[in-house]
Amino acid sequence: MKKDTSSKGLVSFVKDGILWNLSGSIGYQIYLCILVCLMLAGVYGYVIQFKLGLSATNMSNIVSWGFYISNFTFLVGVAAAAVMLILPSYVFNDKDLHKVVIIGEVVAVGALVMCMSFVFVDLGRPLQFWHLIPGIGQLNFPSSLLSWDILVLNGYLALNALVPAYIVYCHYKGREPVGKYYKPFVFISIGWAVAIHMVTAFLYQGLPARPFWNNPLMGPRFLASAFAAGPAIISLVLHVVNAATDYKIDNKIFNKLRIIIVSAAVINLLMLFSEIFKEFYFPTHHSQSAMYLFFGLEGHNSLVPWIWTAISINVLGTLILAFNPFKERQIFLMPALVLLIVGIWIEKGIGLIVPGLVPSPMGEIVSYSPSTVELLITVGVVGLGMFVVTILLKPALMIEKKYEETHGHH
Amino acid sequence: MDSDKTKKINRRAFLKGAASTAIVGTAAVTTGCKGKGLLGSSEVFALEFQEYFKKHYCLMTPAERQETVSRLEKLARIKQDITIEIDTTGPGQDVLYGYAFNVTRCEGYMECVKACVKENNLDRRSNTQYIRIFEMEHGQMSPDQGDGKYFHMVPREGHFYMGVQCFQCENPPCVKACPTKATWKEPDGIVVVDYDWCIGCRYCMAACPYWGRRFNWNQPEIPKQEIATQQHYLGNRQRVRGMMEKCTFCIQRSRKGKLTACVEACPTGARVFGNLLDPDSEIRFVLENKKVYRLKEDLGTDPKFWYFID
Amino acid sequence: MKNFFVYSIRFCVIPGLLLFLSVLTVFSNQEGVTARYKDASQKLDINGQVETIIPVPKQIVKATMDYQGGPFFIEARKSEIKRFKCSSCHNNKTVSIQNAAAISHADIKMVHGDTAAPLACNTCHSQEDRDSLVTSKGSKIDLDHVYDMCGQCHFRQKKDWIGGAHGKRVTYWAGQRVVKNCTSCHNPHSPRFDKRWPATYSVPFK
Repeated sequence: MKKDTSSKGLVSFVKDGILWNLSGSIGYQIYLCILVCLMLAGVYGYVIQFKLGLSATNMSNIVSWGFYISNFTFLVGVAAAAVMLILPSYVFNDKDLHKVVIIGEVVAVGALVMCMSFVFVDLGRPLQFWHLIPGIGQLNFPSSLLSWDILVLNGYLALNALVPAYIVYCHYKGREPVGKYYKPFVFISIGWAVAIHMVTAFLYQGLPARPFWNNPLMGPRFLASAFAAGPAIISLVLHVVNAATDYKIDNKIFNKLRIIIVSAAVINLLMLFSEIFKEFYFPTHHSQSAMYLFFGLEGHNSLVPWIWTAISINVLGTLILAFNPFKERQIFLMPALVLLIVGIWIEKGIGLIVPGLVPSPMGEIVSYSPSTVELLITVGVVGLGMFVVTILLKPALMIEKKYEETHGHH
Repeated sequence: MDSDKTKKINRRAFLKGAASTAIVGTAAVTTGCKGKGLLGSSEVFALEFQEYFKKHYCLMTPAERQETVSRLEKLARIKQDITIEIDTTGPGQDVLYGYAFNVTRCEGYMECVKACVKENNLDRRSNTQYIRIFEMEHGQMSPDQGDGKYFHMVPREGHFYMGVQCFQCENPPCVKACPTKATWKEPDGIVVVDYDWCIGCRYCMAACPYWGRRFNWNQPEIPKQEIATQQHYLGNRQRVRGMMEKCTFCIQRSRKGKLTACVEACPTGARVFGNLLDPDSEIRFVLENKKVYRLKEDLGTDPKFWYFID
Repeated sequence: MKNFFVYSIRFCVIPGLLLFLSVLTVFSNQEGVTARYKDASQKLDINGQVETIIPVPKQIVKATMDYQGGPFFIEARKSEIKRFKCSSCHNNKTVSIQNAAAISHADIKMVHGDTAAPLACNTCHSQEDRDSLVTSKGSKIDLDHVYDMCGQCHFRQKKDWIGGAHGKRVTYWAGQRVVKNCTSCHNPHSPRFDKRWPATYSVPFK
């Protein structure tokens, strides 16, 4: 786009954004069509679920939270991980990471949209969501951790959407954004990111009824796994951006992210070891959930291959990233990143939620695996998230690139 | 350059068209599915529309409560062709319900379960039961080591039986967990749910250490002739899918001075129910003279359901 | 770096303090229900309580003793026995009855007491006055007040029954106390409950 946009306003910003999104190579158009198809599959699944109620899923009175909440838990972590780009670039004034902060924030927005969608599809009565809005409904704040979660997630979405929007809009208009307008919010978002994930962890941690969750390590463990998987996803997105657009990303950035990922992944593994020790050194009645997860109970062992795979690929991914055999060609580290992400996704998602609920407080043991409807809806929500990231990132990167070209490094 | 631009515009137009068709199409499909149910009758639609916007039960004035009760009664008459009576009796003065279960006397007959299902209009399709009876071996104490799915002649040699249900905790973790305050503890001690206010997030179900709460995963199905018509707004009125429900110590009966359905049904008199604040009540006699215990006492939930042995 | 500290104090410490204070409110007081009911020793005014209709489901009689809350009532028994009065047959006159074999009490199986040597009929039934029961010491007990009979051996259950830990109230927990008699639930000749199939079952989960 060779147009001079400095004299345009908000309306044209939005219009240009939409136009830029719909134009591009044929590969890009196909990619958008695939995303739309995924979202339509999700809508189809949701229509079935809306008609039948949640009995269309495989959740039951024992496993009352399943695949949706598992994905929600994982994705809140991914959203919180944007702080791992913001912290170095704003606090330590790292110039390299400053270039990619916008991508991290957009990934956070996408992840948050996915989180809220997963919660929405998990609700038994989503049309009554207004019961949560303080003022017209009743919000059980500060007692209920869910009320905290709603507030912090929405606040974080606002922070991560509005601050980059302001910066990008200023760049669109060809001027420097005013530091004192947005910098305080960036600093707030650093603490807020940690808060959203601790609050999500406290959701589970605060339930004495579920001994598998009721341990003090949940909060820190969530942060560690989030700061491993989140920047890994951001790295993947950066690889895609590097390859598919002309917004080039330097190897140094990948290396810095790699260091963050490895540090967090190692801490995560340490915490995992601590939890395993607690459960298995002197197994008590409370260790039943861990037994169910790692070894199966009473013939119900559907989660066992998953968790062992998850831990293995987690360790493998961490080792590859730590020893970095492909020093200059970071793109070859992509499989390691994927291994790490999938490992953490399994271990923090289904490997956390389902064992927490099995055995039930009255000792019943069941197996759980997502039903077709759940998978369809999940695919749809993931498509939605990717779609949001794409439509926000494409115009943003174009504006950033143009701004950099005309004004040099800011 | 121009033809390139035209190609781009054409592609743009195609995508725009495709996207808008998709959106319109899904909207049509969704409304089609929902609309068919709603537009059965415009009166039903009007009543349900008003029901959708009603307030939390605790915030309703007595007049508003009467209005919603009459709407619900009318809906039942139109949609199901039954006459129901929904009560909104408040808690009695100086009443705090307590419950005791005699582990020696229970023989595992499950008459309580059958009576509860009938009295509380529980879903027959998913076999929802508020009460679970566990067959325990001698030497065990905790129901999670027992068998809740037995079906054979009872009592079996070498085993004893104990029942669990919502224990109406005085410090309920479910009330703390609910994000919309849809569940709360009434002054007479019963933990109730405002079904229409519940959004179905199921956090309370994760928070309950006794597995006391149930969720309507599907639309409940009850044979018409078995519907209990004496209902309470916070008790056994008919629920729809997507809301939580639980034992309410038969609030529709207990607030009228009647025994709960489970206590009434028990053939061996293993269940004792009454007012904890009445020093002459049977429940107080049990608590003061028998060896009583509560489950998972270490969790600090302070349940109002005790077990005792003879 | 200085910026960081300034910002952090303004935006992290103060909200953090607020957070901490609100978290404190979450830990509400933990007054036990045990403490609460132990404090409730004041007898309640029965008329100020929950409104109930005094039930007269069947015949009721007043018990010969009080429970902790005063006098109470029990389900009458005599009206439930089909062929009461016993003395209509069991008298000194000659009686001709049709189908006597069927109503001769030969169908009563005694499963009460030691299995080898169960209780005899006249352990409980008075031989002089067939309409009442008789204790081991010879005092007459009306059939409606059978608890005084059963309570001779089963004194623990009787004490529990008077208090409310044994047996059951009839229909209401509030209002005037009406409870079931011993023989309302127990067959006096075979008092132990039978083995039977449960009324329903619990479905296994998925």
